[in-house]
Amino acid sequence: MSKKAKSATKTETIDGLKTAAEGAQLPSVSRIEEHSLLPLTPDANKQTPAVGQRTTRYDARPHLTGQTMYIDDMTFPNMLHMKILRSQHAHAKILSIDVSEAEKMPGVVATLTGREIPVNSYGPSYQDQPVIADDRVRHHGDPVAAVAAETEQLAKDALEKIKVEYEPIPAVFDPLEAMEEGSPKLHGETNVYASKVIKKGDAEQAFKDADLVLEKRFSTQMVEHVPMEPHASIAMWEADGNLKVYSSLGRITLGRADMARTLNMPMSRIRIIATIVGGNFGGKNEITSEPILALLSRKAGRPVKGVYTREDEFMSSTTRHPFIMDYKTGVTKDGRILGRTVRIVCDGGAYCSWSETTLGKGAILSVGPYNIDNIHVEAHAVYTNKTMTGAMRGFGAPQVCFAYESHMDDIAHELGLDPLEFRMMNAFGEESPSPTGQVLESVVVRESLETASERFGWKEWQK
Amino acid sequence: MMIDVKMTVNGQERTASVAPETTLLTFLRDSLVLTGSKLGCDVGDCGACTVIVNGNAVNSCLMLAVQADGKDITTIEGLSDFEHLHPLQAVFEQMSSFQCGFCAPGMIISAKHLLDKNPHPSKGEVQEALSGNLCRCTGYTKIVDAILELTSEEASAA
Repeated sequence: MSKKAKSATKTETIDGLKTAAEGAQLPSVSRIEEHSLLPLTPDANKQTPAVGQRTTRYDARPHLTGQTMYIDDMTFPNMLHMKILRSQHAHAKILSIDVSEAEKMPGVVATLTGREIPVNSYGPSYQDQPVIADDRVRHHGDPVAAVAAETEQLAKDALEKIKVEYEPIPAVFDPLEAMEEGSPKLHGETNVYASKVIKKGDAEQAFKDADLVLEKRFSTQMVEHVPMEPHASIAMWEADGNLKVYSSLGRITLGRADMARTLNMPMSRIRIIATIVGGNFGGKNEITSEPILALLSRKAGRPVKGVYTREDEFMSSTTRHPFIMDYKTGVTKDGRILGRTVRIVCDGGAYCSWSETTLGKGAILSVGPYNIDNIHVEAHAVYTNKTMTGAMRGFGAPQVCFAYESHMDDIAHELGLDPLEFRMMNAFGEESPSPTGQVLESVVVRESLETASERFGWKEWQK
Repeated sequence: MMIDVKMTVNGQERTASVAPETTLLTFLRDSLVLTGSKLGCDVGDCGACTVIVNGNAVNSCLMLAVQADGKDITTIEGLSDFEHLHPLQAVFEQMSSFQCGFCAPGMIISAKHLLDKNPHPSKGEVQEALSGNLCRCTGYTKIVDAILELTSEEASAA
């Protein structure tokens, strides 16, 4: 294009588009229709009467009449059923897997082992988890092979015919032991796979200035989500070569990305249909057996359904992280908190899953909703030979809340202060900075505490 | 080996030929395609599969289809149709007692069984009757409240 033509176009361009159109080959726009920007919801910025009103849930009637279709209620012509063989060892090398006897059984249509998976690793933060373990199992319950058969019972029976030779290796179950140099390692050189540090002011100096310094260790346990509906999916290949998956998965876009990676195919050719979910609570936030179903379905040329048994659910779905938390807090005699240090060790189990995210949120919230100028938080996620821990309601918040609030009670007791007064004295207010420096707005900690204590008669109870 | 079973399900006589290990739940879900009753644990802990067998609330995952031969079964599908709800379903709908809904069919059957035997239960009796039905979403409060609201309404209407 000649320079002349270009400059001629330029003169017609309206002011706002001048810069963008420079050097562009497309014809420029000389006039733009004015559209007033309507809010997406008509009542935006207006107080609606919805708050405090009772409403009928859209899904109530199908649920209450038993007509809701969860995955296990769906069936497709010619559909097969999948079952997974799981490791009985917490940590072992897999020497060999022999599925030949299982394949000979009548009613068994296809089997799958880890070696057959195009890219045998996945995970929302780090891709450290095999879809099916191929050379090593890292917790009791790691999948080692899968079978698709005409009925669930046949698939279950076929699992008993699969021969797996293991060579057990030392395992580690305690996260503190796992941090030691000589401990058995799960992946690579160290078991510490994520760390977060938050520092503000000088906590050590604050302890020197304090009238009282209190230290205590808190720990929480592993918790399984136990959704009433176990993990369930159905995979099938459509005539155009695209993969279709019905799944109880909560995050379907992430699921498609993980599927594309493990199956080594474009994401655009994978369709995940999210169904009504019978309870998620964070436990259905990443793929589990979906790639297995897809590959078995490709082998068999038939739809394959996989529903976790309750045992599968407990052994091999994610759980809430157990935390070990060391708290140290320095206060003045009259109850002002000068400094706090927190050390967190998060037991991540065998694979990362959402541990990295949980660790970050847990670390940020670990100081509590209190104005403290001197803070030092150090948090680590550690591999152990246990069921992996992942997302669960609150992402680390409940663990640290239990610790800092128990710690607050202990301090109030030591100082001879009313625990409520002690909290009111130190609680966040409007524009308080969070431990990471975020300026907080709409802060109603004190108001909430006041209302709550009135409602349940805190003062009367104190007498 | 297959065994023929015949039973009355929701007022209709139903027959099927089943493998001996077939549970009543599998018979209902797979042979009769009555998928309202759910499989939650398969060991009789969660109550999602509760149905009424000859007037008793039963975990259908623990009963074989052959054991139910000749018996009278009521499942969630037998309580109502979509347009005309059972009073329990109506009060649960009105009070939004359930969330994910997976436990609802079993919970409703247990509640119906209770009210069939004891039309005016105390709160403790309601809790006792539902103790075999697990729910992970709600914390049970709204479920128990709804049943008590229904029975107190009926009491004041009578």
